[in-house]
Amino acid sequence: MQVSRRVLLTSMAATGAAAIAPGVFAPAVSQSKPCRIGILAPRSGIAASAGESGLRATEWAVEKFNAGGGIAGRKIELVVEEETNPKDTIERFQKLVQQEKVDCVQGIVSTGVGLALGPVVEEARALTIYWDGTTQDGVDETLPNPKYLFRSTDNECEAVMSSLLTIKHWKGQFKTIAGINPDYSYGRNNMAAFVALLKRFDIEHEVVTEQWPKVGTMELTSHVAALKAAKPDLIFSSLLFADLPIFMKQAHAAELTKGTKLVFPAAGWQHTLMKKDFTPEGMIFGHNTLYFDNPKATAMQKEFVAWYADKFKDYPNWEADRAYFAIASYKQAVEKAANARGGAWPAIDDVIAALEDSSVESLGGKGSWRKDHIADQTFVQGFSTHANKYDFVTLDPARIETMYSTELQKPAGANFWDWLKAAKFQI
Amino acid sequence: MSAATSAFGNILIGGIFHAAVLFLVAAGLQLVFGVQKIVNLACGSFYALGAYFAITFVNFALSAGLPSWTLLALLLIAGLLMAAVGPPIERLLRTVYDRDESFQLLLTFALVLMFQDVFRFVWGANPRSLDNVHLIYGKWAVGDFSVPVYNLMVIGAALIAAFLIGLFLRRTNFGRMLRATAENRAMAEALGVNVRAIYAAVFTLGTLLGTIGGALVVPTAAASLDMAVEFVIEAFAVVVIGGLGSMPGALAGALLVGLIRAGSLVVYPEFEILAIYLIVIGVLLLKPSGLFGKPAA
Amino acid sequence: MMRGSALLLVAIATLSLGLVPILAPPFYANLLVPFYGYAIALLGFNLLFGYAGLLSFGHALFLGIGAYAAAVIAGIWGIKEFEVVLVGAALAGLAAALPLGWLAVRYTGIFFGMLTLAFGMLAHSILFKFYHLTGGDSGMRIPRMRLFGLEFAAYNKIELLAGPFYYYCLTLSVLAAFLMWRIVRSPFGLHLRSLRDNAQKAEYLGVRVRQFRLAAFTISGIYGAIGGAILGFRTGLADPELVYWTHSGHLVFMTVLGGFSNFLGPVVGALAMTLLQDQLQSLTQYWRFVLGAILALVVIFLPRGLAGLASDVGLRLGRRWAPSAAGARDTA
Repeated sequence: MQVSRRVLLTSMAATGAAAIAPGVFAPAVSQSKPCRIGILAPRSGIAASAGESGLRATEWAVEKFNAGGGIAGRKIELVVEEETNPKDTIERFQKLVQQEKVDCVQGIVSTGVGLALGPVVEEARALTIYWDGTTQDGVDETLPNPKYLFRSTDNECEAVMSSLLTIKHWKGQFKTIAGINPDYSYGRNNMAAFVALLKRFDIEHEVVTEQWPKVGTMELTSHVAALKAAKPDLIFSSLLFADLPIFMKQAHAAELTKGTKLVFPAAGWQHTLMKKDFTPEGMIFGHNTLYFDNPKATAMQKEFVAWYADKFKDYPNWEADRAYFAIASYKQAVEKAANARGGAWPAIDDVIAALEDSSVESLGGKGSWRKDHIADQTFVQGFSTHANKYDFVTLDPARIETMYSTELQKPAGANFWDWLKAAKFQI
Repeated sequence: MSAATSAFGNILIGGIFHAAVLFLVAAGLQLVFGVQKIVNLACGSFYALGAYFAITFVNFALSAGLPSWTLLALLLIAGLLMAAVGPPIERLLRTVYDRDESFQLLLTFALVLMFQDVFRFVWGANPRSLDNVHLIYGKWAVGDFSVPVYNLMVIGAALIAAFLIGLFLRRTNFGRMLRATAENRAMAEALGVNVRAIYAAVFTLGTLLGTIGGALVVPTAAASLDMAVEFVIEAFAVVVIGGLGSMPGALAGALLVGLIRAGSLVVYPEFEILAIYLIVIGVLLLKPSGLFGKPAA
Repeated sequence: MMRGSALLLVAIATLSLGLVPILAPPFYANLLVPFYGYAIALLGFNLLFGYAGLLSFGHALFLGIGAYAAAVIAGIWGIKEFEVVLVGAALAGLAAALPLGWLAVRYTGIFFGMLTLAFGMLAHSILFKFYHLTGGDSGMRIPRMRLFGLEFAAYNKIELLAGPFYYYCLTLSVLAAFLMWRIVRSPFGLHLRSLRDNAQKAEYLGVRVRQFRLAAFTISGIYGAIGGAILGFRTGLADPELVYWTHSGHLVFMTVLGGFSNFLGPVVGALAMTLLQDQLQSLTQYWRFVLGAILALVVIFLPRGLAGLASDVGLRLGRRWAPSAAGARDTA
């Protein structure tokens, strides 16, 4: 669905008002004005598919919430701007806050943009909820105690989970390992976390080669050849853009996938492109916080996935869950704070207080906010299988692993690498 | 075949395959530059256009019942069809032929910007790819070393294209007129050459090479929104190394870039992308006209 | 000196810009801060392009140098004085421009463009790859700095940008423009133009072609770095995307949009682009397409850019109002 910049859901509002008697709140003047939420989502470039998923989920949520009367009686109106590079995204953010006067800003997928925008969010004193892009390695000093900014789970969560699963299921079954990861902070951190955990659990391993393809590059035949030459028992890869299915295809064509253990923590972004033709079974495969085909999914997730499949002929990736979590937790916090004031629209400080330590049922599972404004969410990974009705791989329902991020990300104030060495992991 | 040899063979073939695709697009660039003195920044966009359309076309054809082994033909046809954007774009560029060359460059940059959104509008935000349909042609294996026959076919296609282009430029009348126009436009015009028609044909041929390059690469890769902008750099590297305007240069440059990338991945993977730029800068400094180029500027 | 009416126009424009933080909504003051950065950078760029006839397709490299210099000086070394950062950025720009320029100015036309493109992308790869040094894709933080030693503690960053820093940049831009005006009006500027028009002839006349081009390249690099420092202050981050080749393309776009044959053309282009991009991005998600179409239209129909257009219109009006006073214009 091609989204226009401003999504005025007047038709939904009309049917919503007719269908359901809105809760009777104290009719303050502001109740009649819509609640405006600004969205910053990437729409072009490598993160475009993530941004699209997130945006669609937000629209679905808004339709649903508006049908139920909106947030504390106010209908939601989205104002969508594009996330591009740090400088321009800061401008769009300021437009949302200063010109459009939105009540809340949600979005952001890229780490660099998130880092640059953080201080601006605090200076602008505008409640902002990031979908993604948080990395806990080396960024503690930039925003130690944000007040207005709420950030996603660490980017490294999925790597930690995959590493733990590798150790749990394949301990003793591999010796040489190789890595092919995108050459930027995410890829670097993921690979380093994997190796650090292997060391921590005294798993004998030897890194025979590390490939660092340029982010999003599509020419991977030489990387595949280099990997093949190194003959690893196990390959760890945090590829997640268009390069992921390409790598899989080329690896399959080069017979690299036969007999090699594969660990792909974040393959859920391009999951519909991981065709059975070239993606083997038995890979450790991560879907981050939303596995669209989860047999244990809530009714809400099933409804969302069905709606998405019907409307877009595609299946949502985890960014949809991140986006939903942002808006759902916001709604919950606002309504909780409003109730505490007898129904009047709450002040921003009240909403912030209500967000902290709150938890909601997000699309992919439970999600909650810590006091330090970092999210906790449910992560799903498993083993790839061909036994499904699609033309791409899904997770073997008998071996799905779910972990809550309290087990996967470092607590407030800690250093990521120290925490990795000392934390108690459940395997 | 020993493990080391087969590994070497894999990497070599990988580099040559990449070089083959690079050559096709670079040849298009060279033709256009050689004759029209236009540096086409939108060459990456043509490449992406070929890739995206090829996916749509092949999927359509296969679901209409055509057998998988027609893949190569389908890809070539897809590339051919997309070359149709050549003439109108050339017409657009025609408006600035007489101006400073920076205007031409900028107009092609404008095309890059426009194409980015066209791709997004038509094909959406998700990367697109074909399944491993190309494996229908099987693999050629010697011991540990194996390469999909399709890859060899693409390399073959590039070589045939190189040969045909060379033949065309050297042996046919039209080719002679092309070279004449490239050497000295005014003189060619004075001698009765229809320069306008030449320019239109050359640009379309250049576009065709780009779209076919994209179409041929898509089975082993994918089409994504970023590919146009990223590819330009590599294509330019090839053209600079080989020598602006030179066909043999395109071949040599493509081989060099393809093999250096492949080689550096084994020796020192971190160095991969830097190696290309350093070679470009090196060539520009030591022999700015490139390996095969004529000393001009 | 400039013609009286042109000078008046510039004065009015400067005054209007000065009134923006006071009269316009605060968003616009913030929006225009990067405009100043681009204006200064483009004044430098146009010395190379409009006056010396060399089209650099890697000029965003200097923006990056300025921003990263700011990150190192204010962030890593902790010297949070913007004046020091400006000097540091200028020196960094100089240090980079000299060797790169020395290599690049041996060529003209397309070779020059490709060499500069290669330099820019090489820098991009280095910034991206050596992430231990440069922060990689996450970039390097640029902390808030003091202006003239003043902390302006009462202002938060946004207010600082829309207030004191805005005027700081406006003043800096005026000074930079004035300095550049003197440069292009000097014998050096004249020589540059003769080089552009006919290098061989200029050489016969004793103009040292390479040295002059190198000087132009270096000055443009310094201006670019200063512009980059301003951009960096505003964003608070120096990241590799600043030096990607399409950003260089945008610099050229702005110059041509404003008109490279007019001294203030690039500045007009920067302003027009800043406002245009803001409006377009709010209007449609396909703003890149519209921008590209506008560039195409400008290239085809408005080769002398907006400033050229205004100049023509001004001439025509001038002729209508004072037919006898229409004199020779001195465009660049």
